[in-house]
Amino acid sequence: MTDPTDTPSAPPNPFDTEFLIKQARSYLAFGEQMSAFSSQLHGNLQDGEDWGAVLRRNFDQFKAATVGSAGDASAAPEQGQLWTQMLELWRQSTATLGPGAPAGGETDAWRAYRQVQNQYLDLLRRSASAALDLLEQQLQDRANAGKSIDSLRDLYNLWVDCNEKTYGQMLRGADYGELNGRLFNSLLQCYPKGETRP
Amino acid sequence: MIGLTPERIAEELRGYSARLTEGVQTLSRIGEIEAGVSARDAVYREDKLTLYRYRPRAEKPHSVPLLIVYALVNRPYMMDIQEDRSMIRGLLESGVDVYLIDWGYPDAGDRKLTLGDYIHRYIRHCVDYLRERCQRDSINLLGVCQGGALSLCFSSLYPEKVRNLVTMVTPVDFHTPDNVLTHLIRHVNVDLMVDTFGNVPGAMLNFAFLSLSPFRLAGQKYVDLIDIIDDLNALKNFLRMEKWINDSPDQAGEAFRQFAKDFFQQNKLVKGEVVIGDRRVELRNLTMPVLNVYATQDHLVPPPASRALAALHGSPDYSELSFKGGHIGIYVSARAQREVPPAIAAWLLAH
Repeated sequence: MTDPTDTPSAPPNPFDTEFLIKQARSYLAFGEQMSAFSSQLHGNLQDGEDWGAVLRRNFDQFKAATVGSAGDASAAPEQGQLWTQMLELWRQSTATLGPGAPAGGETDAWRAYRQVQNQYLDLLRRSASAALDLLEQQLQDRANAGKSIDSLRDLYNLWVDCNEKTYGQMLRGADYGELNGRLFNSLLQCYPKGETRP
Repeated sequence: MIGLTPERIAEELRGYSARLTEGVQTLSRIGEIEAGVSARDAVYREDKLTLYRYRPRAEKPHSVPLLIVYALVNRPYMMDIQEDRSMIRGLLESGVDVYLIDWGYPDAGDRKLTLGDYIHRYIRHCVDYLRERCQRDSINLLGVCQGGALSLCFSSLYPEKVRNLVTMVTPVDFHTPDNVLTHLIRHVNVDLMVDTFGNVPGAMLNFAFLSLSPFRLAGQKYVDLIDIIDDLNALKNFLRMEKWINDSPDQAGEAFRQFAKDFFQQNKLVKGEVVIGDRRVELRNLTMPVLNVYATQDHLVPPPASRALAALHGSPDYSELSFKGGHIGIYVSARAQREVPPAIAAWLLAH
């Protein structure tokens, strides 16, 4: 019965390179957005405007463009995914459960689920928007302290920190717990009962 | 922000893309990733359960065997993930005779398995097997996370079979204010979930864990991977962890139903209201020596959730071991290797 290292029935190597590439695309999309933002910002700064005022004005435009892209079918998918990491995770997870969406037209259950999913998206959008407010504040604070961010990765890491902070606050709120429950429950209503996974 | 120009961004993105291309090629060549490094022998099997004995690394291992009861979620090779990050190896090197229950992967035939099956049948049979094998009235038990909760139930129901109990990052009070998992499941219709799916999909549990920190766990982590993409060892270590994270067995439906409702939603363990089979679990029946190990930065099982045991056990010999780290770090961090297995082994050998 020698059995040194096996893990019976385990998937061999579940790491999906496609997933890495997908995240990389999101990072590249982040870089492109930041490049456009930086270009605009530096153009205005050359006109001699106050840094804080320029940042605020450009940030508002930037926020509207980026958070607004979440859930917008016409926006590039990487752009939307970047701001709604959580929804992307949810979609990936539910995709593994098998078909829940009706093949022959929408049912009431499916419509109800889509409605809750939109509410969930709104909550995520608010969190992403709050994260950008926080990012703007942090950039202002750094500028006031004479510190600058000189690399895209540093800016990305700061953006992640801000998102984790505002997302974490949202996650712990009563609204999220209740909505998370409704999201699960409405999804479950879309499946036939008594299904047993193989 | 001022220093970050469009030119600088373009340069970084070019460098990132180049490393990504190189990394994807490396990943495609890396082959299968092994996890679980210590030699072991299967000594007992029942249904999908396998009981392993790890080959001792001390000349004369301790005469009382230690049975590790891992959680039903995720896989137990986390405790033996790589050569230099193995809690099991640390215990073996400290002279402990280590056994571990591998629950396997439940399938449709396991849908009706209850917590009673897991505790009265599977754990009890493994414990009895070891009592007989080692000619002992009682053995040492170490429960990990959810496996710790199962071990608390077992030890309360069969205190005469447990010589010493160690719980690691084990939830006891599921309703402490900082318990995010409880917050997430509180409004979920567990009956509907189990009635719909039968067994609860591992992917849903994985989603719940990732949802606690999605920007780090599903985004930043993969962007950061570029930094180690040309370090084969670091890359393999990363992939081992990825394998473990994504290796989520489905949960036997009825057992999940009771655990989610009685433990998470209704917090019955601390109220003395959990019933396993036809027997009520009373934590004050824990009369054996107890070592409660928790992690101070645990985001899944916050320290107060574990430390609640202090007020509920019935042991004259209760102690706690605090580790400065997180729920996973307590098994895989470099500091954990130095601190945790030696401390547990020393406590076991002294009792």
